[in-house]
Amino acid sequence: MSKHDTSSQGCPFAGLDRRRFLQGLGAAGAGIAAAGLSGGALASQPARAAEVADAPTSATTGQAYPWHGAHQQGITTPRPAVGMLVAFDVLARDRAGLEQLLRILSERIDFLTRGGSYEQRDPRYPPVDSGILGPTIDPDGLTITLSVGASLFDERFGLAEVKPRHLERMTAFPNDALDAARCHGDISLQFCANSEGTTIHALRDIIKNTPGLLMVRWKQEGSVPVMAPRPDGQTESARNFLGFRDGTANPPADDRTLMQQLVWVGRNNAEPAWAHNGSYQAVRLIRNFVERWDRTPLQEQEAIFGRRRDSGSPMHGGVEHDLPQYAGDPDGSVTPLDSHIRLANPRTHGSERNLILRRPFNYSNGVEANGQLDMGLLFIAYQADLQAGFITVQQRLDGEPLEEYIKPVGGGYFFTLPGVQAGDFLGSGMLAAADAIREA
Amino acid sequence: MLISRRVLLAAALSLGALQAQAAVAPQALVAPITDYKLYVLDNLEQFTEHTRAFTEAVKAGDLARAQTLYAPSRVYYERIEPIAELFADLDASIDAREDDYEHGVQDPTFTGFHRLEYGLFHERSTEGLDAYAERLMSDVNDLEQRVQGLTFPPEAVVGGAAALMEEVAATKVSGEEDRYSHTDLWDFQGNLDGSKKIFELVKPLVEQDDPAFVARIESNFAALDDTLANYHLSQGDASKGFQTYDKVSERDRRALVGPVTVLAEELSTLRGMLGLD
Repeated sequence: MSKHDTSSQGCPFAGLDRRRFLQGLGAAGAGIAAAGLSGGALASQPARAAEVADAPTSATTGQAYPWHGAHQQGITTPRPAVGMLVAFDVLARDRAGLEQLLRILSERIDFLTRGGSYEQRDPRYPPVDSGILGPTIDPDGLTITLSVGASLFDERFGLAEVKPRHLERMTAFPNDALDAARCHGDISLQFCANSEGTTIHALRDIIKNTPGLLMVRWKQEGSVPVMAPRPDGQTESARNFLGFRDGTANPPADDRTLMQQLVWVGRNNAEPAWAHNGSYQAVRLIRNFVERWDRTPLQEQEAIFGRRRDSGSPMHGGVEHDLPQYAGDPDGSVTPLDSHIRLANPRTHGSERNLILRRPFNYSNGVEANGQLDMGLLFIAYQADLQAGFITVQQRLDGEPLEEYIKPVGGGYFFTLPGVQAGDFLGSGMLAAADAIREA
Repeated sequence: MLISRRVLLAAALSLGALQAQAAVAPQALVAPITDYKLYVLDNLEQFTEHTRAFTEAVKAGDLARAQTLYAPSRVYYERIEPIAELFADLDASIDAREDDYEHGVQDPTFTGFHRLEYGLFHERSTEGLDAYAERLMSDVNDLEQRVQGLTFPPEAVVGGAAALMEEVAATKVSGEEDRYSHTDLWDFQGNLDGSKKIFELVKPLVEQDDPAFVARIESNFAALDDTLANYHLSQGDASKGFQTYDKVSERDRRALVGPVTVLAEELSTLRGMLGLD
């Protein structure tokens, strides 16, 4: 569905002459119309022709994902056009401060994802809202997903005993050039929505409501190219900035058994009980050398990935979601053995344990000193086991031909908290578990 | 009957609007503003004296003395910055950083303390700085003159408490204010002192209605003083100076950001609380 449908086709006043409208209303009408023009509160205004600076309209601003539930939204929720990953340092100094922070975040997430109006203060005070979305907030498909980094489990908050088993500070892989200023964090917030105004508004709201408790460490915004809906109703994976589909081999999010096995932490993962229904979040900021890529022959690009570019199909043809056939191709003459998709998922016995749920965005930042574009992938993946998931997959990819064109420069590992029911706050289970150990 | 815009606006605002704090009577602000003017003039007098000694050391070619006098001279300016900034031209020529100039340090219109800082701490020489020293002295004298004749607008004074914390949040926490001398903590303390002074002067007007607000602000001021005290050159005595900014640990930098941001937020409500426009 196109993000920005103009509403003018449906407007009853389109093309109406304003002066004739006023004359038609007569003297009483003129008063109402005049008041309407100056005060705005009572009369409806006569329509005017569309202006250059009018806000684009969208039919999906009312879309809302309920925040309460066993799992947080933003993992198996369909990935929308716009996303942002923000890492924070927690400035709270003790457990009480951390709890206050988690409660405030939960309240803000609840409000922002539901939408509504906010308090109008005396104008001599700073306003409570940035006003970016106007006086009433529409949810616009917003999800906000809260995850915690390994550093949160240090000596500050007494959480060391309840740290998820695999949660660790991300270490560099051989092709990495990690920039310390764009790595790690005590917590991450993933904001996703149909449009950027919504994610930015949400970030500023959270910052406004947590002074002294949170400090932004780094952030990366991203998007995916949108497309017209297909007449046959089939969907396609969105493309990355190398022109290829991204996420074709994702385990289907509507397969609850598979999600329970691959994405959601559960009884079989040997994790603390509070972590059940959470997930591991692997974030990687991966620069793409796009100019060089665009000078690479198409068949080489396809050999590097192991897929056809335009259709997204496996190398032997067909459609995007056809499965690659490796059994009949042991020497890789159809799909090269060192191609990206074959290394990441060799489809051998046992490799199904290493599947991950990719939910990325593409980023476009500035320009380097050499005049080349700083664009790339805001890679985000979810899995029940960080070691069996992202880490194992990335180790298989080390040394792949694609490395000529990519350079990971940032990111981090986080644990996405389980969801909460009404009246509860995110992270309450984690705090309670730590308290129980301390009091035992 | 035409409905006036004012009535409509008032109606819209009163729907669910926060009841505005009853504005303090204008005469209640007279004493605090007068006291603040005395504070500013006193600091300006010290500023002028210290700047004279500093610029004379530069002109005499005494590098070590000039370096020593740089940071202590600035403190008096940093305390009264909200008033100095009312004279945008002088604030720029006295205290602008090179980032404000397209040609950076090389820009001929870049003058003032930070241009001298570049010479004294980066080039490590007083060569070629005479003209800048003279210009600075003349600007500082000019500032003192202009402030003596100024009627202090109450909104600028009250708003100055928050403005000083915004200054700290924007440039002192990252160490970009004094990037060559690394004397940012001196400036930080100056901004903090100035903000505290304004708050102290208006505190009697707000503490009856909102003692919790006053308590929060005072505890955050104290937290900042305590963190800065870790870097006193002479323990317990801010006037003897601070360690250079590069010595501030990452942990302490984060410990500074929290209270600074909270103070900026809380103090931004001060004008509203006093009913000032």
